[in-house]
Amino acid sequence: QEFQFGPCRVEGVVLQELWEAFSAMKDIQAKDNITSVRLLRKEVLQNVSDAESCYLIRALLKFYLTTVFKNYLDKAADSRIRKSFSTLANNFFVIVSKLQPSQENEMFSISESARRRFLLFQRAFKQLDIQAAQTKAFGEVDILLTWMEKFYQF
Amino acid sequence: HMVEDTSNLLQHVKFQSSNFENILTWDSGLESAPDTVYSVEYKRYGEREWLAKEGCQRVTRKSCNLTMETGNLTELYYARVTATSAGGRSATKMTDRFSSLQHTTIKPPDVTCIPKVRSIQMIVHPTSTPIRAGDGHQLTLEDIFPDLFYRLELQVNHTYQMHLGGKQRDYEFIGLSPDTEYLGTIMIFVPTWSKESAPYVCRVKTLPDRTWT
Repeated sequence: QEFQFGPCRVEGVVLQELWEAFSAMKDIQAKDNITSVRLLRKEVLQNVSDAESCYLIRALLKFYLTTVFKNYLDKAADSRIRKSFSTLANNFFVIVSKLQPSQENEMFSISESARRRFLLFQRAFKQLDIQAAQTKAFGEVDILLTWMEKFYQF
Repeated sequence: HMVEDTSNLLQHVKFQSSNFENILTWDSGLESAPDTVYSVEYKRYGEREWLAKEGCQRVTRKSCNLTMETGNLTELYYARVTATSAGGRSATKMTDRFSSLQHTTIKPPDVTCIPKVRSIQMIVHPTSTPIRAGDGHQLTLEDIFPDLFYRLELQVNHTYQMHLGGKQRDYEFIGLSPDTEYLGTIMIFVPTWSKESAPYVCRVKTLPDRTWT
């Protein structure tokens, strides 16, 4: 079992464990009452080519680690939540550290396309109050995992 | 305009989903009179506009089939119910965010158990769903869940079971005794989504051995 984001391969991450970790924290999604805004919209995730996927997943997971998860841990008072939260964050960190997208020139247009998609997500995030944005982004981890599953080899 | 729930007219508004058949259900409140009527709206997560569900406007029943309206697997949905009493009081309640991929439960598989003299063959039939692919053909559970597999068990006696499993659909338990009753159970598993069906059960008797009669 491994992820194959185009040329980028990531072993040692079990998708089911990510789902179980997210399910344990599902109540956080119910705290997002802005039902008319979706950060990970179709324009961000739909029809992403394999080659693009490595750049995009790397940008998204780095954002989640540095901006979304950053001060969530101290809010997660319940130890079960903290454990699930750590599982998710640690696995995201493992994936990011193993992704080595090509920096060659001919890949510029592909990486630019991925960057534009990521900017759509980031802009929507910044249009919300930071607390609401973090809660919404956290609640959309299921959308992210559903998309990631397309690149998972069972 | 969402009216604050000022009265106890409505509760437990939620989706019940099985093999991607998505039914919205709710309960009346403690103060609901039998003539209370209910109206359903739904929308995609991320959109502003609520859409009225035709056929579920001002109804007295407490369920509404939203399978067709919530059939896109890449989308997430909300639904809400407005209860209106004869006296004109009303209350509106919304579901949690709904994803059929995450929330649907799996029904028992459809299986044909075929007894022979010293074996029992089990053929699992594909499970079709209301979900349609881009070209319109109906998807099966196997199409939707790439890691779906079957687990089969044959109860031989109180202490001994035989096990088979995998992604294929045709299985055969061999080395059995003729003219003997066995209990077979077959389940569907989808590990990534931690889904497991209730068992399909078949009680089968192997054929008598007539070779020397």
